[in-house]
Amino acid sequence: MSRLTAELLLAAAGAYGACGLAVGLLFLLRGLDRVDPAARGAHAFRPLLLPGLLLLWPLVLWRWRVLAR
Amino acid sequence: MSARYVPVGWTRAKLAYDAVLLLAVATYVLLYLHLGPHLADPARPLDGPTLLMRAWGSAAFLLLTLALAIGPLARLDRRCLPLLYNRRHLGVLTCLAALSHAAAVLDWYFAFSPTPSLVALLSSEPVRPFIPFGLGALLILCLLAATSHDFWLSFLTPPAWKALHMSLYLAYALVVAHVGFGALQAATDPALALVVLASAALLVALHVAAGLREARRDAGIAPPAPEPPWVLAGPAEAIPEGGAVTIRPLRGEAVAIFRHQGRLSAVTNLCAHQNGPLGEGRVVDGCITCPWHGFQYRLEDGCAPPPYTERLATYRLRQVGGEVWLDPRPNPPGTRVEPVAVA
Repeated sequence: MSRLTAELLLAAAGAYGACGLAVGLLFLLRGLDRVDPAARGAHAFRPLLLPGLLLLWPLVLWRWRVLAR
Repeated sequence: MSARYVPVGWTRAKLAYDAVLLLAVATYVLLYLHLGPHLADPARPLDGPTLLMRAWGSAAFLLLTLALAIGPLARLDRRCLPLLYNRRHLGVLTCLAALSHAAAVLDWYFAFSPTPSLVALLSSEPVRPFIPFGLGALLILCLLAATSHDFWLSFLTPPAWKALHMSLYLAYALVVAHVGFGALQAATDPALALVVLASAALLVALHVAAGLREARRDAGIAPPAPEPPWVLAGPAEAIPEGGAVTIRPLRGEAVAIFRHQGRLSAVTNLCAHQNGPLGEGRVVDGCITCPWHGFQYRLEDGCAPPPYTERLATYRLRQVGGEVWLDPRPNPPGTRVEPVAVA
């Protein structure tokens, strides 16, 4: 892999992660309570979800939409 | 379970499990660092950073092998079930060991040039195929560790979560390829090759043995009773007090018939949590208790005790002579069925 390709790949991964962070924080603050009753009033576990939200944010957005209906 | 989430549902067993795991990994890494220089080829002495990355890499490989061996081991021998209860902590620890390995690699091989270490890793020449294999395995391990909380099971649905976590097998294959195209190419003695081959062979053998055992068990279909749709579930005295027998009707899911205080109740054999085999569990505190993660259900209606909300399909039973008959048609989950007193 050329240096340029490697830099582009890492930039894309960084952008994906930044989107994931934004979606993850929004989900933790606004969406989680609506899609999972067991999360209501439970806060200490939420930081544990952030890595998964960051990695799976497109799937999270889709499930969030489905479950919020 | 579906009560309010906590970061980790600690129990004494989980604390002991984690303490043993951490102690074992720390001991392994320290021993590797201490003994490694003495065991290495004197003509090619190992430096400290190389030892550290090999210590973490081999620890991650052995932990991954253990994580994959626990499932079939627990199926083959019930004494191994306690290893299964906290397997997700083992998985998270495996991911941390793999990340430590990756960090040690970046800190040594790619840390002394102006090029950012990740860019240098991806663009290093000549092309080293073991790098993408290792990165792929690391990504999977991170994904599985990041989705190990029960929230993800509920959010993604149990089948999707289970399918996602089956990718641990792909991670193992990638790790074997990573070692095969990497460390094995430079190895001067056969020890590493033997460890990798023996681990992979052990995993294959355990899975084949567990699969054959389940196939033999599945072949035992319950015979029909004289009155359809009932099937014969065997003599009542064959069901141990506080335990269960598993019945496999011709159609539909396997059914677990429990005996508690001289009365019989039947529920689906599949736990609502992760499809654990309830029939291999016991009645604890008056509730069916899954052998995998301890999820509990009431005998009479298959409902988890409050505040939990999981429900199981229940089944009708009757006793004719000394023989137990089962109606293999499942009731809707949570349907109350009066337990049958053993005559």
